Amino acid sequence: MQRTSKLITAESPARSAPALKSRTFQCMGTVISLALPTATGGAADGGQVLEGATAAVERVFAGLDAMFSLYRPDSEASRMARSEVTLRDASAAFRARFEDATGWRLLTEGFFTPERPDGVLDLSGIIKGYAIDQAATALESVGVEDWCLNAGGDVLVSGSPAPGTGSPWLAGIVDPHDRGALLSGFPLGGTSRFAALATSGSAERGDHIWKAGMGRTEFRRSEFRQVSVAATDIVTADVLATAVVAGGRRMLDWATDSWDVEVLAVLGNGELIATSGFRA
Amino acid sequence: MRLRAAVSAALASAGILLVGWQSGAHVANTGSTAATTSATTSNGTTSGAAAGGGTKSGSSGSSSSSGSSSSTGSSGSAGAAAQAAGTYAGSVVQTRFGAVQVQITVKAGAITDVTALQLTDEDRKSVQISNRAAPLLRAEVIKAQSAQVQTIGGATVTSDAYLSSLQGALDAANL
Repeated sequence: MQRTSKLITAESPARSAPALKSRTFQCMGTVISLALPTATGGAADGGQVLEGATAAVERVFAGLDAMFSLYRPDSEASRMARSEVTLRDASAAFRARFEDATGWRLLTEGFFTPERPDGVLDLSGIIKGYAIDQAATALESVGVEDWCLNAGGDVLVSGSPAPGTGSPWLAGIVDPHDRGALLSGFPLGGTSRFAALATSGSAERGDHIWKAGMGRTEFRRSEFRQVSVAATDIVTADVLATAVVAGGRRMLDWATDSWDVEVLAVLGNGELIATSGFRA
Repeated sequence: MRLRAAVSAALASAGILLVGWQSGAHVANTGSTAATTSATTSNGTTSGAAAGGGTKSGSSGSSSSSGSSSSTGSSGSAGAAAQAAGTYAGSVVQTRFGAVQVQITVKAGAITDVTALQLTDEDRKSVQISNRAAPLLRAEVIKAQSAQVQTIGGATVTSDAYLSSLQGALDAANL
């Protein structure tokens, strides 16, 4: 304890650029990275805290990917896509995520949907957010308090990059028209009300969001090139970012009216629409 | 039954007026709404009395709490049963923006109007309830330089694209 508090004191003057240690692993078609402040975990015990924490997070992601990936022929999701099993025979965990997803479909008036236009059940839209959420529980249980978890551009944080100071983590948001530049930043954790930031769009994976869901689906282009949503939890941020890209301005207004969120949307021509929380 | 409804409506109107009185700026609007509704409810001779009673209570009362108006509203609706008509004030709900209270106008069993009785924060200053997104210049958003941020948000980065991404560079620097 004594040693830790000394390190915090030493850390304070360098608040603008806190020293972090990070570890990465691949899962769900992307790279997940976990960063810890060197003061409380990154360097403590020769980095063993960080190694242990990363292993805990990786177990969560790997377990969910094994069950829900449509890229794994042996996953429960793939067997369901091939109609080898029905929802009635599905595991309790699978049905629980299905319930989450259908609940979100109701809350977003169908703009978030767990079904592909071809009718295949695809829960991947909710699984990454859920995995991040469960990883947070795993990190809590191994006793890590200050961390930043980034799963392919979706971010959840806890505590502060400079432990004990209350200063938030600063997340940059990529400019979809110039992937090497930052469009904006947003404070997460620390004294900020929000801990989660999720971004959806067509910048990295093409038009991977189905417009307006089943029934009224058509592959029209979204009016938004990229939508970032800050929320208190990552599943809400993730689902709403997806729904706003799919539902356009109407869903954007519904999201800001109905949830405690901040939104930054980039239009196709590069213009921005944002809630007041993104104003400098 | 009709008399009872009129009395209930008058009571509700009085309660609404008290709230209106309390929240200051809304007195004029609320008063006129209550009077109109009482006339509609009682269909004729008693309308003047009902509206008048409401106005009198409104002008004399200044210390009633917002909570009491909501219970008056519900007793009104219970008395009028299926043919409920009149205006009813909802209970005061605490939101992250402050206390909010609305009033509904019911005619022939259907809600015909919803008005806000109270949209103020604790300092009695009006606040912006809506947090709708509006156009913003790039120069107006919170800015961040790559060197200042601890993580990078963006639409899902594939494993292949990760190495050349800003997050990839950031992680490499922190390994």
